[in-house]
This record gives sequence, structure tokens and C-alpha cells, in this order.
Amino acid sequence: MTDSETTETVLDIRGLTKSFGSNVVLDGVSLKVGKAQTVCLLGPSGSGKSTLLRCVNWLEKPDQGSVYLSGRRIGVREGGHMAMSNAELARERARIGMVFQHFNLWPHLSVIQNIVEAPIHVQRRAKDEVMAEAEILLDRVGLAAKKDDFPSRLSGGQKQRVGIARALAMKPELLLFDEPTSALDPELVGEVVAVMKKLAEGGSTMLVVTHEMSFARETADEVILMDGGRIVETGAPGAFFKNPKTERARQFLQRYVS
Amino acid sequence: MTWNAFLSLLDGAGLTLLISGAGILIGVPLGFALALIRWARVPVLAPIAAVYVSLLRSTPAVTLCLLIFFAVPTLGIEIGAWTAGILTLALVTAAFNSEIWRAGLLNFPADQLEAARAFGMPAGLRLRRIIFPQLWRVSLPGLVNEATLLIKASPAIAVIGVAEITRAATRIGAQTYEPLPPMLAATGLYVAIILVLVGLQRFVEKRYGRIGAQA
Ligand SMILES: Nc1ncnc2c1ncn2[C@@H]1O[C@H](COP(=O)(O)OP(=O)(O)OP(=O)(O)O)[C@@H](O)[C@H]1O
Ligand SMILES: [Mg+2]
Repeated sequence: MTDSETTETVLDIRGLTKSFGSNVVLDGVSLKVGKAQTVCLLGPSGSGKSTLLRCVNWLEKPDQGSVYLSGRRIGVREGGHMAMSNAELARERARIGMVFQHFNLWPHLSVIQNIVEAPIHVQRRAKDEVMAEAEILLDRVGLAAKKDDFPSRLSGGQKQRVGIARALAMKPELLLFDEPTSALDPELVGEVVAVMKKLAEGGSTMLVVTHEMSFARETADEVILMDGGRIVETGAPGAFFKNPKTERARQFLQRYVS
Repeated sequence: MTWNAFLSLLDGAGLTLLISGAGILIGVPLGFALALIRWARVPVLAPIAAVYVSLLRSTPAVTLCLLIFFAVPTLGIEIGAWTAGILTLALVTAAFNSEIWRAGLLNFPADQLEAARAFGMPAGLRLRRIIFPQLWRVSLPGLVNEATLLIKASPAIAVIGVAEITRAATRIGAQTYEPLPPMLAATGLYVAIILVLVGLQRFVEKRYGRIGAQA
């Protein structure tokens, strides 16, 4: 695995803060994800993990701080003072793939239609080319046979693999995962984790919120623990899981790792 | 009842269909526009749309029809009875349709829209590609129900002299001193129209299926 100091930075989050009313959800979060790296975000419920991901693609507007994707600032125009228009924001979001806890597939579209929807209508790429790529992607997530099924006919694990293929079809610079296996029956977690591992090994750049400790331990280049809207510990998975530096991390690991 | 009388009833039925149909064709999209304006909380327009809907829902169609027929000419615009009738029905049904559309919009699953936003779809595209294909299927039964209510409320426009089914039947009854046969025939015509409408709904639902049904 590559060293974060020497690789190109894809995602650079600097000093992000976000409050909902008086509830401070993000309290100065900074982190980087290097090219082809997998960073796992851990943390108890309510610690601000989802909010952080949603701030990355500006689904939620941060109060302060900045997000850079491959050196380009998101949400704010060049020069640094004018907010991006909705159309500009939409274009930036298309550079980032997102995978959701509850899959969030579009039920009126078949599996393959779900995958080609945004590449065709957002990125305006040629339909033939996108369809051909989608078939390859479906094959990669092991669902080639389900291409014309509708989401309602799929198991949770299959839905999530479609969700991943849908994100990949955008050829994103960065993939965001928000607890991709938390809504799955235990016996279905493995098939999704296997796909994610393959992606990580294949050079995708991934920021993954997860409670799946084995995935973090085996696949992450870096593990980040959040609590109360702050990053409390960062480290390589080996060190993080064996010798956590902070008391907070020790408590967390005791609760979540059996 | 003579053959000629029956033919004039059929003319009335044609007029009912024409004016109600036109009212529905205008009222359904107009209702959708009103619903969108309120759902998207468009500044200035949203509260106006809300007031419009409350007002129209509480005004009897007869009253509105007379108001349009007599008030519009004072603005220097000529208006015929048919046009006034169509306008009345369109404006009334738009108010009710907007509530049907709006309920569908408010109940639309937020997670689907979140995904659409995350994938870079602007509002127009989300509406066209994600929301509308599901919304119309959900709203269809309510819209057809409102359409049947509208057809049954359409005799209101008889007050300004439009010879739709009920007015035609009343006239025949008055001329022949036998009100029963034309009224029975009129009832039959309404039932036939509504049955066709509901049949059409069934056909569309069967043809285009449920959301996410196997193709
Ligand atoms: N749109 C919102 N409006 C108000 N409060 C919000 C909103 N979104 C999140 N919050 C609050 O922000 C806090 C952090 O939420 P967030 O979803 O980011 O946590 P999380 O770490 O993802 O937790 P979980 O593991 O349960 O998913 C919570 O207290 C939540 O109630
Ligand atoms: Mg969360």
C-alpha cells in the first residue's frame, strides 16, 4: 500500500464545521485521502460520520472549512468567495460516487437502468458506450444475470452491489460509502464486503464509514475514529486495532470489537 | 320521449364531455404546477398558490361560473358561455388536483431524491426522471376520482346557458311534461361516461403496471 505523503491527494478536507441549531455535529474536521487509498471512518452513532460524508459532496452545506477534490474546491467558486450555483454543484457531485446504507435505488428503473441513468442524463455520455460499461460493471459485482430485474426483486446484498455499480458507472474520482453493510442481514454482508475489497485492491479511492471492523482491519490504509464531531484518533489499521493511542479509542474498540 | 329529444340529450352529453374534458386537460397540469410551486416553496408564489387552493376549494362551482361569466367582460375581455364553463371547471379541478399531486410529492421517498442529488441530477432532471414517472402512477387513482367528481359537478355551468346533459334533460322534461324519461336517460349517460373513464384508468394501470414491476 502507498504512503499518504508521497501519493497525490484526491480528497482534502480542512477544518470542516457544521451545526444543526445549537447541536455542533462537526467540530473542525480535517483529513486527506490519497489516490487509490481506502480510509475507514469509525465512530459511535451520532458522532457526525454521515454528516461529514454529506458535506464532502455538499448535500449538506458546511458552516466553515473547505473541501478540495483533486485540488479543486467544492461548493465555492474559484477565487474563494462566491458560492457555486446549483448547476455547478451538480457537476462537482458527479465527480464523486456515493453508496448509501439503504441503497437508495430508483425502484421504477431496472438494475441496468439504475446504473446508466446518471452517466447518460447527467454526464451526457453516449448511450451505447455506457450500456456496454454497465454490463461489465454488473459482471464485476456478480449480477450480470439480474440486469433487467427491478430492485424490488433483489436481496439486500444484491441491491447494495447494484448501488456500488451505479456509483462506479460515473467513473468517480472518489467513492463515499455510508455504512454500506449496516442494513444487511448478517449472511449478506460478506458478498458486499468482497466487492468493496476488490475495489480497494483495484485502485479505487474510497472513504468508507463502517462498523465492519474486519473490513477496516484488512483493507484500510488508514483508520479514523470520530467522536462528538471531532477526529479523536488516526492511524494505520494495524496500530489502531492493536495499540490504540487514546482512551476513547480503547473504549470504542472494546464496545465494537468482540 | 321522442327521437329528436334523445338526440338533443346526446348533444348535451357531447357538450358535457367536451367542456369537462377540456377542464380536466387544463386542470390536471395546472394542478401539478400549483403543487410544485408549493412543494418547492417558491418564494412569493407558494403562499399565493396556497390561498388560491383554499379559495377555489371553498367556492361552489355555480358561483364561480357566474362570477367568471359576468366579471370577465367587465375587464374588457369577451367570454363565451363555453369558454366560461371550461375555465370554471379547469380552475376548480386544478385546486383539487393540486392537493392530490402535492400529497404524492410530500410522500415521495427522500432517500431516492438524496441519491439523485448525490449523482449530480439538477432539480429539473430529478423531477423528470425520478419523481414524475413514479408520481403519476401514485396519483392516477386520485386524479381519476377527482375527474369523476368534476363531471358530476359539471351541471353547474348550466346556469350560464350551456346545454349540457342535465340542462338538456330538464328542457325536454319541461317541453313534454314528462320529466322522468329524460332524467333517467341523463343518469344513464353520466354512468356511461364515468364507467368509460374508470375503465380507461384500469387499462392504463394494467398496461403501465406498478412501479418497479417486472417488465
Ligand atoms: N438534517 C439534520 N437536521 C438536524 N440534525 C441533524 C441532521 N442530520 C444529522 N443531524 C444530527 O447530527 C448528529 C450527527 O448525525 P450523523 O448522522 O452525522 O451521525 P452518524 O455518525 O452518521 O451516526 P450513525 O452511526 O447513527 O449513522 C446527530 O445528533 C443527528 O441528530
Ligand atoms: Mg450515519
